[in-house]
Amino acid sequence: MLPDFALLFIVLAPGLAALIAGVFQKFVTDRGAMIITTATVGLAGILSVIQLFMFAFGGGVTEAVHTAGAEGGHGGGHAVAAVQHVITLMTWMDVGQFQANWAIRVDALSIVMMAVITGVSGLVHLYSWGYMSEDPHRARFFSYLSLFTFAMLMLVTADNFIQLFFGWEGVGLASYLLIGFWYHNKAPNDAAIKAFVTNRVGDFGLALGIMAVFLVFGSVEFEPVLSAIKENATVTPLALASAAPVQELVMPFLAWDVPALEVIGILLFIGAMGKSAQFFLHVWLPDAMEGPTPVSALIHAATMVTAGVYLVCLVSPIYEYAPVAAGMVTLIGAVTALYAATVGMAQNDIKRVIAYSTCSQLGYMFFAAGIGAYQAAMFHLFTHAFFKALLFLGAGSVIHGMHHEQDMRRMGGVAKYMPLTYAAMMIGTIAIIGLGVPHTQLGFAGFFSKDAIIETAFAAGENGITFAQLAFWFGIIAALLTSFYSWRLIYMTFHGPREDSMPADTHEADSHADDHLAHDDHAHDDHGHGHHGDPHESPWVMLVPLGLLSLGAIFAGFIFYGSFVGHHQAEFWAGSIYTTPDNHLLEEKYEVPGWVFWAPLVVTVTGFLIATFTYLFNRGFGAKIAKSGGPLHSLFANKWYFDEIYNATIIAGARWLGGFFWKTGDKRIIDGFGPDGVTALAQWTSRRLSAMHTGYLYHYAFVIIGAALVFGAVIFWRVGGAG
Amino acid sequence: MGDFPILTAVTFLPLAGAVLIMLVRAMTGSQETDVATGNKALTAGLIFSVATFLASLVMLASFDMEAEGYQLVEEIGWFANIQYKLGIDGMSLLLILLTTLLTPLSLIASYGSVKTRLTEYTIAFLVLETFMIGVFCAMDLVLFYVFFEAGLIPMFIIIGVWGGADRIYASFKFFLYTLLGSLFMLAAVVFMYLQAGTSDIMQLETFAFAPEVQTWLWLAFFASFAVKLPMWPVHTWLPDAHVQAPTAGSVILAGVLLKMGGYGFLRFSLPMFPDASQFFQPMMFALSVIAIVYASLVAWRQTDMKKLIAYSSVAHMGFVTLGIFSFTEVGVQGAIFQMISHGLISGALFLIVGVVYDRMHTREIAAYGGLVHKMPIYAAIFMLFSMANVGLPGTSGFVGEILTMTGAFLASSWAAAGAALGVIFSAVYMLTLYRRTVFGQITNPALEGIQDISVKELITLIPLVIGTLLLGVAPNLVFDVTRESSLRALQMITGG
Repeated sequence: MLPDFALLFIVLAPGLAALIAGVFQKFVTDRGAMIITTATVGLAGILSVIQLFMFAFGGGVTEAVHTAGAEGGHGGGHAVAAVQHVITLMTWMDVGQFQANWAIRVDALSIVMMAVITGVSGLVHLYSWGYMSEDPHRARFFSYLSLFTFAMLMLVTADNFIQLFFGWEGVGLASYLLIGFWYHNKAPNDAAIKAFVTNRVGDFGLALGIMAVFLVFGSVEFEPVLSAIKENATVTPLALASAAPVQELVMPFLAWDVPALEVIGILLFIGAMGKSAQFFLHVWLPDAMEGPTPVSALIHAATMVTAGVYLVCLVSPIYEYAPVAAGMVTLIGAVTALYAATVGMAQNDIKRVIAYSTCSQLGYMFFAAGIGAYQAAMFHLFTHAFFKALLFLGAGSVIHGMHHEQDMRRMGGVAKYMPLTYAAMMIGTIAIIGLGVPHTQLGFAGFFSKDAIIETAFAAGENGITFAQLAFWFGIIAALLTSFYSWRLIYMTFHGPREDSMPADTHEADSHADDHLAHDDHAHDDHGHGHHGDPHESPWVMLVPLGLLSLGAIFAGFIFYGSFVGHHQAEFWAGSIYTTPDNHLLEEKYEVPGWVFWAPLVVTVTGFLIATFTYLFNRGFGAKIAKSGGPLHSLFANKWYFDEIYNATIIAGARWLGGFFWKTGDKRIIDGFGPDGVTALAQWTSRRLSAMHTGYLYHYAFVIIGAALVFGAVIFWRVGGAG
Repeated sequence: MGDFPILTAVTFLPLAGAVLIMLVRAMTGSQETDVATGNKALTAGLIFSVATFLASLVMLASFDMEAEGYQLVEEIGWFANIQYKLGIDGMSLLLILLTTLLTPLSLIASYGSVKTRLTEYTIAFLVLETFMIGVFCAMDLVLFYVFFEAGLIPMFIIIGVWGGADRIYASFKFFLYTLLGSLFMLAAVVFMYLQAGTSDIMQLETFAFAPEVQTWLWLAFFASFAVKLPMWPVHTWLPDAHVQAPTAGSVILAGVLLKMGGYGFLRFSLPMFPDASQFFQPMMFALSVIAIVYASLVAWRQTDMKKLIAYSSVAHMGFVTLGIFSFTEVGVQGAIFQMISHGLISGALFLIVGVVYDRMHTREIAAYGGLVHKMPIYAAIFMLFSMANVGLPGTSGFVGEILTMTGAFLASSWAAAGAALGVIFSAVYMLTLYRRTVFGQITNPALEGIQDISVKELITLIPLVIGTLLLGVAPNLVFDVTRESSLRALQMITGG
């Protein structure tokens, strides 16, 4: 591991850079803000990547094994105590047993995450020099990017649930600000609020989960909580009389008495569903594409949306002993993987295709974690960061080159104008479909990680783990669809004739066209006037990140396979991921039947062939299907009508309730019978009284005396009664 | 500090200022003819309120955080068994500091914003400040009651004289509600005095009222505190009072006056009526959760900025009662923290509304939109406090919410889950408000010439920015002060 000052720099410096770029942007100017943030995050990225290599292949490993052996007792992946290094910065909250520090926790999990976050973030900062070059608010943009990086690093280096929650909501804030970066338009504002609120729904679960952790363990710090679960320690929940071994502990939650770990597992996973856009809470992610494309690459593909996967892996001891919660993770993950892939096939906005693809890949990661193959989930998270950031930045390059055109129906034939971008997108596509030769080390990054997931899912299914078989088959089908929509994207965008003159009706068909055109007027107005209509290749600041990510998309799987899920995984993870002694999925994945190894390749090639026939050789065939509007296509194109259903039920219901409480509850009932009613009654009474001419002094005196008598009698009675 | 009566000094310094301003005015016999004359009175008032703030810092310095019980106690016989007795613990210390901080900020915000009868306006605020400080350090029940009720009058006048178009309706509604609560409390105060033979709060804390008596006394105090806080369903005075009150009035109302309810529960209901408090826990949880969910949903539908923030206050005060009645250290500490935090955040939000109201003279959300293009600094500060109001970690709003909910969770997962729903809705109404006023295009041509935040306005907001962020990152600054008083209150309720 790196020395403390370097770790402090990696985590805190991006926050400081964000502060300088944001608060003092008048003094440092746009350019100053860009230099400060990019240099800081870039340096943090280099340090973090070095740290990852050191940890995986350098002295870090032997040191780790040594410590794990010394502390853990039964060694390897089943070590009880995780190898970690914690720098405590200061006390945050100290209220009885509720103890939370500001801290930087460095273990294998956070080292992987730090490398992904700062690495991709550094490249995205650099890329944005080109992509945002004409935006008038660059200082603000870079400040937000660095703020995001800081919050995400705080999330992954937390040593307690509260700091994790700080990072969790902090990245939510940065995401909100960046989705709504072009705040003068309606669509980004809507999307930003939708993202924040949907995440809040998830945070509802996460917050309750943290409270449940506190109730059961009397602590919100990871180490005591996770150790207690691994050792099955006897705990006495706060405010409950009965002590019990934690794995058997039953706690009351709402109307039920349920196993404590199941409650905690499910609640925490609801948080993960929100942040990682899983089925039911996925609706914000496609809309988040309203943000600038570098943001989509960093936040909504490579890093933030993977926070949920990270959380599940981080608290792996909980899911190891909570089969129902783990089953829910598997089911939701598998359904998301398939669902998002079906929708991705029918989208025409290039960014939305990739967004649904992200959603789908996150589903793979979740079902891997749900069945107990956390290492495979983290591996896919890691490789996915490269190829998905690459795809997004490549798409951004196309959008930039085509003057902010995002509709693939108006693209085509771009390859010859943007050969380097085309190459990068090809690499990204081959990586995401997971092309590689089984039983060999030949393949792109996605091949290693996705196949590890498919194989472990099959093995888990053989072991009878809940929903694992379903996850395996959904994973296979989703792989077919992934291949199809990925190649469809390539063909529609880069191949065929240039189609910049579309019939008017398709313009109208894309409801977002207007918003995207609106982006132009501020971001790209002095752009490409000389050769209007012709796409152009992007500048080097955008191509360099594409190049580096391409290297990752090709080699990351090959290089890190052994460490993440191969024979060295126990030493690599060094106890930061916990699996029960009878969880051998990573070994069993080598022993699955031969056809399981080949199935992903077969479906991938099938998907490729279908896409090639419908979108390359018979260009227009896909458009014909779309136009014919079969029910299945409508279902996919309209995202299974989730937005419509939510709008008509939850949102309309809450709005109605708000109005009802206000107009009927407050005005009619409370005020009507309360102050207004009393006033009206008083006026009515006084009118009656004056009509009867009884408003004399003795009358008031009579009333006052009468009241005093009643009052006095009550007091006398009470005192007497008490005395 | 020796025997110097620092609490008396802090309490009556503003009143002395008010008297001085009155005397000067009487001696010179000058009528306030223009704003310039009025501003002089305002400046004099500001000097006194700043002096009070400095005096309260002396009080802070003399306070021993480790010590148990009340400190800096001053005691003089008054009449009968009733004493003029002041004293503070950690909770009252911080609420006094909040008061002495918000009062000068409110006065600064009044420059240029209030244009008529500034002399009387200043006097009203100074008198109000004395009463508010008195409430938090009175150690005698009767003295407390006097301060508690007297505070009504200046606020009633501030709303009724310097308020908006519907100020008369609003001030009467405010008065009617709070008076109703007060009458019950008066009866209880008299009864307690008769039964215990003393009105000394410290002695009353150790006096064991019979359980069935406790129930009635608890309900009588509840009537008063619930209205002040305000709790559902006696909250409807608050939106009207806020909408009609001048900006400074809203700041004090939300920032300090509402806290008297929470303070009352912790100072009286829990220690003096422990059995009744236990008995009413489910009801308090239910009312708190209803307040949080109900008020948040209603806030979402508001078209008036101040009303929206007023409903948001109702929701946020729901967390205070939720925490107090969890009877856990986490919950009670969280509730006190939430009171301080809400004082800073809601105070700031009303100042923020005041900034644009002074320029546009409307609080209608629909009249705004696109402010970010003309007022970038304003937009940034507004964003900060919007996030603080939705409880984003890193701001003080988060700490209060998570701790009170955690406390509630230990007692009832239903209550915690209900309150957590409110956290979702808070994001809905606050982001909607922000988006409609600040983001988007400028559609109202009157906004074209709007100026960004002025130095004067920055001076009022910067201390609150610092406070919100500082307490968000280092809330132990508060917990260390309030730990002893929280544990004491809990000991009385759980330890018998």
